[in-house]
Amino acid sequence: MTLNNQELSLNIHNNRAWFLVLPSVLLLAFVAVIPLISVINYSFHDIFTQESKYWVGMEWYREILGTERFWASFGRSLLFSFLILLVEIPLGIFIALSMPKNSTLVAICFVLMSLPLLIPWNMIPIIWYTFISQEYVNEFFVFLGIELDWKFNAVHTWFAIVLMDAWHWTSLVVVLCYSSLTTISNAYYQAAAIDRASRWSVFRFIQLPKMVGVLMMAILLRFMDSFMIYTEAYRLNAGGPGNSTMFLAMDLGEDIFSFNYGPAAARSVIYFLVILTVSWVFKTALALHGSREA
Amino acid sequence: MLPLRPFLISQIQFRWVPSTFYIAFLLLPLVPVFYLSFHSNVSTPDLASSEFTFRNYLKIFNNANLTAAISSSISYVLINIVITIPLALPAAYAFSRFSFTGDKHLFLGFLALRMTPPVVMIFPIFQLFSSIGLINSPLAIALAHCLFNIPISIWVLESFMSAIPKELDETALVDGHSLPGFFIKKFLPLMAPGIAVAAFFCFMFSWVEVVFARILTVTNGKPISMAITALFSFKTDIGLVMAMTVLSIIPGAIMIFFVRKHIAKGFTIR
Repeated sequence: MTLNNQELSLNIHNNRAWFLVLPSVLLLAFVAVIPLISVINYSFHDIFTQESKYWVGMEWYREILGTERFWASFGRSLLFSFLILLVEIPLGIFIALSMPKNSTLVAICFVLMSLPLLIPWNMIPIIWYTFISQEYVNEFFVFLGIELDWKFNAVHTWFAIVLMDAWHWTSLVVVLCYSSLTTISNAYYQAAAIDRASRWSVFRFIQLPKMVGVLMMAILLRFMDSFMIYTEAYRLNAGGPGNSTMFLAMDLGEDIFSFNYGPAAARSVIYFLVILTVSWVFKTALALHGSREA
Repeated sequence: MLPLRPFLISQIQFRWVPSTFYIAFLLLPLVPVFYLSFHSNVSTPDLASSEFTFRNYLKIFNNANLTAAISSSISYVLINIVITIPLALPAAYAFSRFSFTGDKHLFLGFLALRMTPPVVMIFPIFQLFSSIGLINSPLAIALAHCLFNIPISIWVLESFMSAIPKELDETALVDGHSLPGFFIKKFLPLMAPGIAVAAFFCFMFSWVEVVFARILTVTNGKPISMAITALFSFKTDIGLVMAMTVLSIIPGAIMIFFVRKHIAKGFTIR
């Protein structure tokens, strides 16, 4: 989606283009907008059954936003997303830059690197559970001088979840970055070689600018998906030890599966507003970047 | 970067190190998965528990529930691709070639939908789909997955379309082609790689998704992920679980092998 103002102005302004997006809009209205509207409606009600609902106004919102539990989960989710971006984005860029040149090797790398992306999400924690319970993994950490106790030590649980997420998702960043790197024509590298440019300035002035758009998308995808992490983290240690790995989506899951529909709906609305805000900030940042480039 | 600094031999020799270590890190947790899948953990008179065996894989093909789960997963992923791509193609074309009132807000809206976690939507989507009798059908999961696959496909297709020069459209339209005629006869063949990549992304995100797949199948049409969960019990046959996991990776691995060149040819957002 071209967000660059300058570039958009080159496109013909024609409102009949709406007919082209209409099918997508209609389908998404059906599967997303209708459900969202009913969520908003439920969030103002106390729901016992479909037939007996009572209007409670903003009560659920006050209740949720007034609890320490919400803000603690919110903080943990933010910290988690921050750690994930800190690990996955630089690592992803680094691996993408060091992909082999040979096309057969690239094919092998692509297939092997994408394996974690292709595993059903509920299996990810089971695989990791099996893996870190292995004798040799434990011995490896003992060898490093760490008594790994990821079930009962909060820091170790965090470490295990971040490691698991990096294992699961870094390849997406690699694939996206690599794909934008391949669009750089060789002439740029030759010019850089003539100028005796350092490896760093090649990265800073040739490769990074080309990657920025895709990188923003990767950052956004990774931010939102890690911010709302549910299945993977829940299955690994059920938010424990204590509540030290309870993230936002798990609180919501708890509400839903204990049939507290009103509070669950209010929570959903709050999360959706957070998401909307982040998307908006992201869009604005991308548009700013676009106008600076031009 | 080979032509860049040929005098730095060390740089060339060590180029393979990061990706090799990275791949080793990725494969390490999969080792127990493959190992367990080829070993029977239930000792039987004719087979010690530590011996190599294909028994777990044979068990899958003799288990009606598991084969049904595989075909159910494949069918909703395919239905999803068949719905998503034809809807996303014209939308991507609109974003790529025209400017129209509200286009940026629409993009923001699409983006927000892709970012919406399924947990937020499960309850109302379940109600909506059960009110029109869609529960337990692959179509329900396929439709729910459009929530994130349509926005992603529009983005992928749009970036491939923007790589095709606009002059192509203009000359074709001047030559008297109608827009739909031009789009189908001239434009789509050029878009084949983009369609392949978009289909791969749809496949990937739909295949691994568990939240919608779980709540939209109550009694019937359970996907692979749920069939695996159902295998867990007091006496879990972990070999069978892992064999099922290995099988679930294979279709995607084959797909990425075929689309890798197109992905590598690059899509960018400007």
